[in-house]
Amino acid sequence: MALSLRKKQLDLITRMLHLNQQQSSPDGGGDGEEEAYKILVMDGPCISLLSPVLRVGDLRKHGVTLHLNIDKARQQVPDAPAVYLVRPTPANADRIAADAAAGLYASFHINFSTSVPRPVLERLASATAASRSAHRVARVADQYLDFTCLEDGLFSLAQPRAYVSLNDPAAADADITAVVDAIALGLFCVASTLGTVPIIRCARGGPAEMVAAALDARLRDHLLAKPNLFTEAASSAASSFQRPVLCLFDRNFELSVGIQHDWSYRPLVHDVLSLKLNKLKLPTEKYDLDDSDPFWVANSWLEFPEVAKEIEAQLAKYKQDVDEVNQRTGGGRDGVEFDGTDLIGNTKHLMNAVNSLPELTDRKKMIDKHTNIATALLARIKERSLDGYYRCENDMLENGTVDRSMLLSLLSGKGTKEDKLRLAVTYLLSFEAPPPSELEQVEAALRESDVDMSAFLYVKRIKSLNTQFAAASSTASRSNIVDWAEKLYGQSISAVTNYLSDGRQLALTRTVEALMEGKPNPEVDNYILFDPRAPRSGTGGQFRGPFREAIVFMIGGGNYIEYRSLIELGQRSQPSKHVIYGATEILNGVEFIQQLAELGQKAGLGSGGSNLPSQ
Amino acid sequence: MSRVRDRTEDYKDSVRVAALSHGYTESQLAALMSSFIIRKPSPRSPFTNAAVKTLESIRELEKFIVKHRKDYVDMHRTTEQERDTIEHEVGVFVKACKEQIDILKNRIHEDERNKRAKTWLGTSDENSRLDLIAHQHGVVLILSERLHSVTAQFDRLRSMRFQEAINRAMPRKKFKKKPETKLAETPKSNLVLQSDVSKSGDQEVSTAPLRVQEQLLDDETRALQVELSNLLDTVQETETKMIEMSALNHLMSTHVLQQAQQIQYLYDQAVEATNNVERGNKELSQAIQRNSSSRTFLLLFFFVLTFSVLFLDWYKN
Repeated sequence: MALSLRKKQLDLITRMLHLNQQQSSPDGGGDGEEEAYKILVMDGPCISLLSPVLRVGDLRKHGVTLHLNIDKARQQVPDAPAVYLVRPTPANADRIAADAAAGLYASFHINFSTSVPRPVLERLASATAASRSAHRVARVADQYLDFTCLEDGLFSLAQPRAYVSLNDPAAADADITAVVDAIALGLFCVASTLGTVPIIRCARGGPAEMVAAALDARLRDHLLAKPNLFTEAASSAASSFQRPVLCLFDRNFELSVGIQHDWSYRPLVHDVLSLKLNKLKLPTEKYDLDDSDPFWVANSWLEFPEVAKEIEAQLAKYKQDVDEVNQRTGGGRDGVEFDGTDLIGNTKHLMNAVNSLPELTDRKKMIDKHTNIATALLARIKERSLDGYYRCENDMLENGTVDRSMLLSLLSGKGTKEDKLRLAVTYLLSFEAPPPSELEQVEAALRESDVDMSAFLYVKRIKSLNTQFAAASSTASRSNIVDWAEKLYGQSISAVTNYLSDGRQLALTRTVEALMEGKPNPEVDNYILFDPRAPRSGTGGQFRGPFREAIVFMIGGGNYIEYRSLIELGQRSQPSKHVIYGATEILNGVEFIQQLAELGQKAGLGSGGSNLPSQ
Repeated sequence: MSRVRDRTEDYKDSVRVAALSHGYTESQLAALMSSFIIRKPSPRSPFTNAAVKTLESIRELEKFIVKHRKDYVDMHRTTEQERDTIEHEVGVFVKACKEQIDILKNRIHEDERNKRAKTWLGTSDENSRLDLIAHQHGVVLILSERLHSVTAQFDRLRSMRFQEAINRAMPRKKFKKKPETKLAETPKSNLVLQSDVSKSGDQEVSTAPLRVQEQLLDDETRALQVELSNLLDTVQETETKMIEMSALNHLMSTHVLQQAQQIQYLYDQAVEATNNVERGNKELSQAIQRNSSSRTFLLLFFFVLTFSVLFLDWYKN
């Protein structure tokens, strides 16, 4: 069973758009088409949820004539049914009630993107009852759709700044619980869309365990209620062999991936040109980069120089094809031959040529688009000398060596402030104990370039805390937030340095591979296992693998680099395994380092730098 | 597989509770609950009814094409005439659907104009119809897209038919050529043989004049044969050329029609643009005039002011 998250989400949305009626066969009656022309009303987050999956033309195929934002002023369309897809907040409930009272549409089919809490439902009910318009509401349903599926195996929960909220030293308990609950609800939506109850594994201590516990509780509660969303799936996936494993990780597990510079096409576009929701906005125009673009699908993981070569190869092939078409149809020939056979062949060629023209124009447009993107990328790369940064970071992370002169020259040379900061933090993270003199030089270079030091100092402080608490035992109360945070950092960074000595496979990939294989492995043996289907008290069957499918979730910021390494893991293993990757949000390096800087400032490590802990 | 949790029951319960708290009477409560169970179909505007009817007719057209697809494409099931009738019927149907869509479109525009004419003060009323108008445009767009896809399907079938017609014509010509060349060769060889035989037979004096006559007749028939076969050749070539031309015509016409709308739109836009530019020019020239006139007026104003101030000053003193 190949899990294609995107297809399943699309199926759900399509069914919702057809008002949850049976798909009528072409010969069947026109009963389902009585309400053929609907209006779709959504709120902001749901619009961004829908945009990577459906386009406006596709909406029309499903019979949606208009899509509107719930917050804008709307007018009456008295004879059309309206499909609402909103988040279950009280404000949305009020707006729906107002719309029903004003009688804007003929019937209301209300779908909430996650489970609607009872108070909100009662609020909606009382408002509609008071305005005598409750009969207009035809249906209320929970769709469990609250995640953005960017590609077949990549999703994001669109919960910005989760990392900051979780690691904020001044955060209250209630805030943290709220964030953890929101993440658990998002993961529940993903599990229910896939139709499986996964086996949850996470590291001890820290936000991962809290999220896992919350999700486990939610799944258990849901499985007890009847009818639940997983009963149909249970019969088809009876053996636990077919259940996927959900691996939860915290961003602190491997900080360096979040900020490093990468040299492949897709991470570069995401980083330098800020790709958002598969849409790219250049100063001159906008582009869509998703599955409908064959060049992107085929070449997005290549290194940048190779991508340029590919574009040139495609351009040459295109020119060749165009020349061939011109030649065959007598475009450049002198003298026309009226030979009988030749004429017949001529017309056939003409017909083929005319038929292939639209395809050729599409190819040309695609080549133009990628040429523009590559040119823009190249300009920025030259401006910021990103290739130097990439090489330096790669040396540090992979080989554990550093070319001091290159490091310092980069820090004082070209590149934005964020680039330098990222390089410095990568330097900090790749060495267990950097020699103090070098550290001083690096810091001095940073200060000279007038870079905001909060992120750097924050990471430094984490490392210093790590050295102090590395020996602490794993059992400790989690009531004090700073306590468990420091515990977490201790384990995570020591884990990171262990892995880094062994060549440059991402620690995340290694752990996921170990978890999926299920063989006893010292790295992952002390990972907690939650199985929502198993009875709570029983010791029965703690199933540890091997698994064929995995869902990897990163609490904090996700990254295309991790996504690529997980895809490679899936393809590498035989038989090929299927890995889905998700995060609370997909961040590029610039945004992540900004979040680190924000945390540094919150921890009081502002540009003063007066509270540097002694090493 | 329902991955969706239906909360309508919860909603109904909450509505009942809320209704009681808001002071509904028993009858009203009963009416409310029954309206949940039995959904009253709301009255639909004539526009929507017409749109639904058009959708029905498009679907019927699709069914018709699907039913006759096999007959149409398969080589040996139907004759050319039947195919032509099918095409004709489909064409008529498509035209009817297109007319219906056009009627709907015109109705939207008429409604717009009527409303605007009636309420010349009610600009707010216009705004309140924006969504409705957009919705109706959307409905028309959906219908026309549906019709497009159905006609594209049928076009593909038609082009397949043309392709096969051409293919049928070509091999016949090729096959015809080969036996003809053979035929052309054999009379020649026959002639040579005959001439040899006749040469050897010339020595036999008695039957010579008869044989010569026979030979002449044979030659004539053979020449006629060759001529007729040549004619046949050329006629078949013309036939294939005609078929090809019609196929090309059909191809070109579809493409041209596709572009005709775009060109019309571009033309309208260009006309509007020129109008705008002209108006812009006029406004600019007016502005320049006013600018210069205002400048003179301003100068005069200050002049007069200065002199009046001087005058008053002199007057004081």
